[in-house]
Amino acid sequence: MSQYKVVHYINQFFGQVGSEEMADYPAEKREGPVGPGIAFTMAFGDQAVITATIVCGDSWYNENLDLAKKTVLDMVREEKPDLFIAGPAFNAGRYGVACGSIADAVQTELGIPAVTGMYVENPGADMYREKVYIVATGDNAAGMRRVVPVMAGLGLKLVKRQEIGASIEEGYLPNGVRKNFFDQKRGSLRAIEMLLNKLHDKPFVTEYPMPSYDRVPPGPAIRDLSRASIALVTSGGIVPKGNPDHIESSSATRYGSYHIAGVDDLTSETYETAHGGYDPVYANQDADRIVPVDVLRQFEKEGKIGKLHDWFYSTVGNGTSVASSKRFAMEITEKLLAQGVDAVILTST
Amino acid sequence: MKLELGYIDIHGIRFGDRNAVEDGILILNPGPLIEQVLADPHIRQAHLEIANPGESIRITPVKDVIEPRVKVEGPGGIFPGMVSKVDTVGSGRTHILRGMALVTVGRIVGFQEGIIDMTGPGADYTPFSKLHNLVLVMEPADGISPHDYEKAARMAGLQLAVTLGELARDLTPDETEVFKTPRIAETFDAALRGLPRVGYVMMLQSQGLLHDTYVYGVDAKRTLSTIIRPTELMDGAIVSGNCVSACDKNTTYHHLNNPVIRDLLDQHGKTLNFVGMIITNETVYLSDKVRSSDWTAEMAEYLPFDGAIISQEGFGNPDTDLIMNCTKLEKKGIKTVVITDEYAGPDGKSQSLADADALVNAVVSTGNANMPIVLPPMDRVIGTLDYVDTIAGGHDGSLRADGSIEAELQVITGATNELGYNRLSAR
Amino acid sequence: MGGATESESKDIKHYTSYLILTNNPMVADTFSEQFPIEFLQEASDREVLLRARDRVHLGHRILTAPLSGSVKPGETPYRSILMTFEREEGVDYFSLVNMERALSIIRDFETSPLANRPSVDRDYQLVDLSLMESALPSLEISGLA
Repeated sequence: MSQYKVVHYINQFFGQVGSEEMADYPAEKREGPVGPGIAFTMAFGDQAVITATIVCGDSWYNENLDLAKKTVLDMVREEKPDLFIAGPAFNAGRYGVACGSIADAVQTELGIPAVTGMYVENPGADMYREKVYIVATGDNAAGMRRVVPVMAGLGLKLVKRQEIGASIEEGYLPNGVRKNFFDQKRGSLRAIEMLLNKLHDKPFVTEYPMPSYDRVPPGPAIRDLSRASIALVTSGGIVPKGNPDHIESSSATRYGSYHIAGVDDLTSETYETAHGGYDPVYANQDADRIVPVDVLRQFEKEGKIGKLHDWFYSTVGNGTSVASSKRFAMEITEKLLAQGVDAVILTST
Repeated sequence: MKLELGYIDIHGIRFGDRNAVEDGILILNPGPLIEQVLADPHIRQAHLEIANPGESIRITPVKDVIEPRVKVEGPGGIFPGMVSKVDTVGSGRTHILRGMALVTVGRIVGFQEGIIDMTGPGADYTPFSKLHNLVLVMEPADGISPHDYEKAARMAGLQLAVTLGELARDLTPDETEVFKTPRIAETFDAALRGLPRVGYVMMLQSQGLLHDTYVYGVDAKRTLSTIIRPTELMDGAIVSGNCVSACDKNTTYHHLNNPVIRDLLDQHGKTLNFVGMIITNETVYLSDKVRSSDWTAEMAEYLPFDGAIISQEGFGNPDTDLIMNCTKLEKKGIKTVVITDEYAGPDGKSQSLADADALVNAVVSTGNANMPIVLPPMDRVIGTLDYVDTIAGGHDGSLRADGSIEAELQVITGATNELGYNRLSAR
Repeated sequence: MGGATESESKDIKHYTSYLILTNNPMVADTFSEQFPIEFLQEASDREVLLRARDRVHLGHRILTAPLSGSVKPGETPYRSILMTFEREEGVDYFSLVNMERALSIIRDFETSPLANRPSVDRDYQLVDLSLMESALPSLEISGLA
């Protein structure tokens, strides 16, 4: 029986190069299994063999993303493997992110099935669980012996194009795809057992995690708008002409604060949009369409509102990560509160 | 309340010249039974067929599945308020023809649900493939309304089940089981102290034509949430008028054999104190939902429950009732576990429930009803395949030229039952 | 969005006039003398819900569950919703949450009806009518929302 060929990706620590101080070790391809690869070799038995191991520093990967991906993909491509395994990374954050990233790239760009493994709280888990099968591990390498056969087993199934069962059966982190399977006990019995655990404050695992909606209770209403200070905040990407803060057109990593005291109107000479997610023509013609300074100035003059705040805050809401958005919001809010702003009009596109 | 169940095990069904149970074989003379069914002018034609486990038979479109039982001792008769006169049931002694069921088949509406395959991959998903089924196929009189036909078919099934049940009256059971449900005062006995007080909230489908459930003959739509003793269900106090969505509706068989009740009674006095059971409905009118769930929560607090299992029936609209019941109990400090199925789409990626709340943190899933399934052709079809394309979970072209069916798990009767009857789950 | 409970209307209002929003000709015919009907002929069930959502923004409240019935979205082409006739100041949050939630479910499923056979179509209409009829007794008694 011909064996399946496997390429294994590990970091500088498991590659026995060194630990944190060697995290900038550039990717290196070695023949055969290295470190945990030996355990995988045993788990694969005579079904598969690791022909090459790629050892790569976690910092080198994460800080040179494009180069690192290209380099590793080239190395993998050379080997023409049937399967790609990364890690397991347990709770090492940058390692987990690298494993997820490279496994995803191998799958997408080389069409080779991939498996990795990490702890559920590893940042790489949430980032990649819907793209790559991530086997659930404990939070430290003491779990290696238990995890390797699970990863190997799942990998072999993928190579053989066998039906992959539910997450709980195969050992991977739930990936957003609900799969049916037959449990040991009937539902009513499982319900009673779960309830008893819950009643006795013992841990239990729900079979269906509720989607978490980020609840934001509405703030109290403004009683008297004519005395209120209103600020404009936007994710529509409106910036002074020339985008002096270089806010990115997508996946923005920053926001800008722009002074509009004395500005009655945003014009095509003074403002533009940096947002890469919509046709910019109308926003560039008249940025008031996204950030309605002109109308609010009018209201200010008419006494409908107390004051249009002197600063507006802007970022680009195009593929912006939830984490970044939360951070921007916290910082902007602190500034607004410090400046006595009563309300915000938040615009987007 | 104390109820003794006596099981007479049935290993086969045969047509003959008399009605009797001999050596575990049910012998039936179909002629007079059919005459009884045809006494209702709403039914133009009817016939009986037999389907045994493992046979290459497809039964469709299934309306209800009913287990024949008879009250041997104690007040009332089976299906009180529907077939027998109204009288509180659930005590005394009841005999059951176990290992078989009466399956009613007939076109109520064009998208009539329900397939039971007696063999093949489909058989794994329904408990009814493991029973010896007596199938009553009915056709409506011309021009009658679906409402009238639904009622006629429902009553025909229940009445026939009672007639069959009678055959068990004087037989000696192969096995007996006794169930005792405590009075509220008894739930405070010393022996039970220290055990968590657990209740069961059972939600009943009650929205309209093909969406109804009957409690002692009362349409659940117009009921207020109330207490019922678990053994009353064993005598047929609750009966199904629900034939929308085969996979997650409770057939009358499910009501008679409610697994939550069985498992709670099993553990009563051991790991928990099964205090009581509340039934509540699932309505269309929004403020009725609020009222029903408020009432349920008030009662749960009154009894009181420390914890409750909540089972629902159906999808979509009932998900709102489910969330209401669950969150209101949780807010009163009553810990809950919810049993529900999922509609996560054929690819498993859609949101499984139509409603959600962070308080609903303990869920038992009885499977994704949208899972695609291919049912191979069977040698024999009891009923008709005309409607397969249109039954819930099928689609245009569901029925392939070779007789196989490409549809979703939804089409199989009982597949994702939300009482937790099956072992099917999803992650 | 949390559960519907957290935004159940605390203020009781008695309504005396209603409207039915529907794409079901059987419902339109049956109730045409009792209620004003907004009949969206040949609209999809999603379009009916969108219209109901729009009306909620205009100040109407919904009285029946938008996803009523257990015939799954994508199967039945018919949907009917009972709403208040008068427009009120502001938007009823409970109505809005229910509408948005229903819309998110409908979006997930394909909206093509299963079969276009006239007899089946009539049956879908009938079941949808029955669901609307089941709401009426509650309506007649109090008109509470």
